[in-house]
Amino acid sequence: MQLLAQILANGVLLGGLYALMALGLALIWGVLNIVNLAHGAFIMLGAYVGYYLFSLFHIDPFVALPVSMGALFCLGYLIQRHLLNLIARAPMFNTLLITFGLDVVLTYLAQMFFSADFRTINPGYAGANFTLFGITLPLVRVLAFLVAIVLTVALWLFLSRFRVGRAIRATAQNLGAARLYGVEPRRLYALTFGLGAALAGGAGDLYGVVSQINPYIGAALTAKSFAIAIIGGLENPLGVVVGGIFLGIVESLTALYVGPTYVDVASFGILVLVLILRPNGLLGAAA
Amino acid sequence: MKRAIGCLATLLAMSGVAHAQNTVTLGASVQETGALANTGRYYRDGYNFAIAKINESGGVKVGGKTYKLALKILDNQSDSNLSVRQYVQLLTQDKVNFLLGPFASDFALADSSVAEKYQVPMIQGGGASDQIFSRGYKYIFGTLPVASKYFGSTIAMMGKLNPAPKSVALLYADDAFDVSVAAGTRELIRKAGLKLTEDKRYSSNTSDFSTLISEVKSSNPDAILVSGHETEVLNFIRQAKSLNLSPKIYSFTVGVPTADFRKALGADANYAFGMTPWLPSPTNKDQYFGDAPAFVKAYTQKFGYEPDYHAASAVADVEAFAKAMQAAGTLDPKKVRDAISHVNFGSIYGTIAFDSAGQISLPQTVIQVQNGQVTPIYAQGIMISKPQYPMPLWGKR
Repeated sequence: MQLLAQILANGVLLGGLYALMALGLALIWGVLNIVNLAHGAFIMLGAYVGYYLFSLFHIDPFVALPVSMGALFCLGYLIQRHLLNLIARAPMFNTLLITFGLDVVLTYLAQMFFSADFRTINPGYAGANFTLFGITLPLVRVLAFLVAIVLTVALWLFLSRFRVGRAIRATAQNLGAARLYGVEPRRLYALTFGLGAALAGGAGDLYGVVSQINPYIGAALTAKSFAIAIIGGLENPLGVVVGGIFLGIVESLTALYVGPTYVDVASFGILVLVLILRPNGLLGAAA
Repeated sequence: MKRAIGCLATLLAMSGVAHAQNTVTLGASVQETGALANTGRYYRDGYNFAIAKINESGGVKVGGKTYKLALKILDNQSDSNLSVRQYVQLLTQDKVNFLLGPFASDFALADSSVAEKYQVPMIQGGGASDQIFSRGYKYIFGTLPVASKYFGSTIAMMGKLNPAPKSVALLYADDAFDVSVAAGTRELIRKAGLKLTEDKRYSSNTSDFSTLISEVKSSNPDAILVSGHETEVLNFIRQAKSLNLSPKIYSFTVGVPTADFRKALGADANYAFGMTPWLPSPTNKDQYFGDAPAFVKAYTQKFGYEPDYHAASAVADVEAFAKAMQAAGTLDPKKVRDAISHVNFGSIYGTIAFDSAGQISLPQTVIQVQNGQVTPIYAQGIMISKPQYPMPLWGKR
């Protein structure tokens, strides 16, 4: 019983990290209809920003979080403005190709500049934990979970309460109508892509504190984020959190009861089930 | 203009002839990029370093003629399918004379089939899985000791600790090397009369170990043995700390000997046990490098990082070819293959000689990270230095 409670707690905390990773991918996908295959590479770059700030300037990773996000926002904005906007109306296959290429380029540039050495962001409290009702909770994962919740709620408020946010949603829902109301899609697209990249950067910074960083972590993270975005649905950032936590719990229980080699079978099996039964995600409208 | 082109063509033709006459080319497909690039570079650097040194010393005398060594290296991007294609390319298009291996058992397992098919010997220092050498292949030789015995010295040492660990958890990744390690270790654990509390296989590239760690923690074994990849070992140790898992002893098949591992973990690397078939002992004399410490010094100066057993194993592979070619007195692949099976020489890596299956036999020295330094602890029945045991709780470090 104690073990089950611990595993569930592990799953929820893992889910928080997952949600943070997937949030940016879901935003870009939902608004721009681009499945950004370079998303994992953005997470990787965010992790390196955090790593270098920590190792060179001893800046705490939680303080570095906005810096990671800012840096990736700029990168994302520029990439959308000068690269992806060129194919904004192209079929999805083209955007897949171009973001795949982007992923390859960013990954190999990362190896050139950062080397393939394994890095970690390792502040004194990285391994700290506390015990609650006999359950061991790693401090950083709890903090990362809270950051994920805060960023999700902030994103949700931004999209539903602010003029720019509403304009972003409007372009996603009906581009023609949005244009008639004076919305300029090109800048909005760049802004959205930048926001998505910024969320990836923040996720990367925290990922470096709980895991290890190397130029090749991206591909697996893209796949995971993709699954979470589908499971959670693209309509609402809160869905991503639900999807992330759901996946975190399922993976943890699978590792416990079925075996650790079946974790990916479970997560991608659920992906298929969700696509069949609830194609708009767990929180989305039923099919 | 025409004359210039003519001159150039003649020059090119001449250099081509010279190339064919006086050079022996060794071909290898190595992970220079991709997920295994971190360890792959030890092989790239080791091969290059050994070849440069052998050429510097005058090259290799084969049947009265002196040859220089050359290296044709391809980047397999950490993709084992690509590496098989590249070995075929090395033999059919690039016409290399002999083959050096890739890193990792999964790769060596697949690539050795190419060597066998084309009957060109491959000496590889990157794959230790028993599977590579259990297929009756004649053209594959390995300079890593057999995977199933990796934990042999560790389990022997555990019997001499006070109090000796009584229960063990075994965790391993699902690739050729780690599965071989686990199969052998299970047997060793049984023979030593230890209780196996957990026996868990996980997917390669697992990044979240929290479930496994919680499970192991609840069965509370004295010892944890992990056979996996360096990224997994890093994640495991970090997450063990954050979930307060403190066995009396834990040991890892990879990572512990490398400088990179200690750098990534900092103080958290302390107390971790591991093993290495190679320590740069001055008793390891070598024709080309003098001895192992001189090799380490020269290598570190050249590449900016300390070599571990991967790099030393790579150097041994190149030297084994040099010795075998000299002994064979010809470049004929079949004769060189027979000569390799009979080599027996001292190198920076130790004594290089292969058993009938083609694998080297080297004892694994148990090592532990003590205050940021790799410390040899136990080898061949002898306690070399005092192990830090039991490992203190995370909160009391």
